[in-house]
Amino acid sequence: MHLQDGVLSAPVLAGGAVLAAAGVGWGLRRLDEAAIPRTAVLAAAFFALSLVAIPLGPTSVHLVLGGLMGLVLGAHALPAVAAALVLQAALFGFGGLASLGVNTVILAGPPVLVAAVARPLVVRAAPPLAAMAAGTAAAASVALSASLMAAALRLSDVAYAPAAPLVIATNVPLMGIEAVVTASIVGFLLKARPDLLGRSAEVRP
Amino acid sequence: MRAVVVALVLAVLVVVAATPAEAHRLRVFATVESGVIEGYAFFVGGGRPEGAAVRFVRAGELVHATTTDAAGAFAWRPEETGPLTVVVDPGGGHTAEVTLGAERFGAAPAGEATPAPASQAASPDALDPKIEAAIEAAVARQIRPLLEAQAAAESRIRFNDVMGGIGMIVGLAGVGLWARTRTRARDDG
Repeated sequence: MHLQDGVLSAPVLAGGAVLAAAGVGWGLRRLDEAAIPRTAVLAAAFFALSLVAIPLGPTSVHLVLGGLMGLVLGAHALPAVAAALVLQAALFGFGGLASLGVNTVILAGPPVLVAAVARPLVVRAAPPLAAMAAGTAAAASVALSASLMAAALRLSDVAYAPAAPLVIATNVPLMGIEAVVTASIVGFLLKARPDLLGRSAEVRP
Repeated sequence: MRAVVVALVLAVLVVVAATPAEAHRLRVFATVESGVIEGYAFFVGGGRPEGAAVRFVRAGELVHATTTDAAGAFAWRPEETGPLTVVVDPGGGHTAEVTLGAERFGAAPAGEATPAPASQAASPDALDPKIEAAIEAAVARQIRPLLEAQAAAESRIRFNDVMGGIGMIVGLAGVGLWARTRTRARDDG
């Protein structure tokens, strides 16, 4: 899910950087004191978990927890992902600084959008249904991220067009894994900390 | 308080999970043995790309192109020796390259050794080119496992780096909280 430097064309990199800067600025403006620790914890989780590669046939995938970040953080997912990506690029050469903007848009954009759609259901539905909605949102977020990545490659160079189905195909198993992981984490949060998901404390059983 | 405990437990779990892990990232290993450049591309997290484009670039110019086999491997015998860069591109956003310096090519391969110039042959200090090539080949063969181990070790994720990254995020949160507190104190006062 991390595009490396030297793959994308300059206009795509610039476009991604502008979009990411706007998104991160928007997310930061809405970051209040209560949200900062929560954002930092999820940024740390994303930073560390997306370093854990799961071997899968000729390649490997890693968790991104986009759905969870979108549901818990909302717009704050943008600065969280951006900070974690800066550190991954600086410490591990994962992704790159030039492609930071594009990677932020690819990884943090879909969670924010998908969570905005799924949140009403996660907030109001009965816990099992809410967890399922969260899992579905996570899968949709991965699918959207993969599509954005394929689009970024396609826009950069038409020669990458054949890679698009490959990018989406390798992410199909990740959709399932993310859905299960996110649904179980949300299931736990619904019992332990429903307020993190925007549910009022009275809902607590 | 409960939130802090949950956060700490989460952080510890994440660190434990991440420690033995390796990043998903493409790397190339290449070596020169008896004038043949051979090597393979590998994803650090596991897996090797099949059918990935391999480009041999010398001084910015493409001198040879091939693709990787089922084991992600490639081999090519360049006509002329000299430093070059091997670029592997499986498409889909990952590329990796490795540069082989002039020192990696050493003497001409034994099979194609050109006859030594008369002056060199006459010198008592000069080794037979065939012996020299044999030494080059033996050394290349013996240090190959070392180079492979080093390439793998270099790309392994280190616990210290992961902890450093998490520490940076915690520090950023602290800076953010401090800045908010100052803003509020100014607004109040």
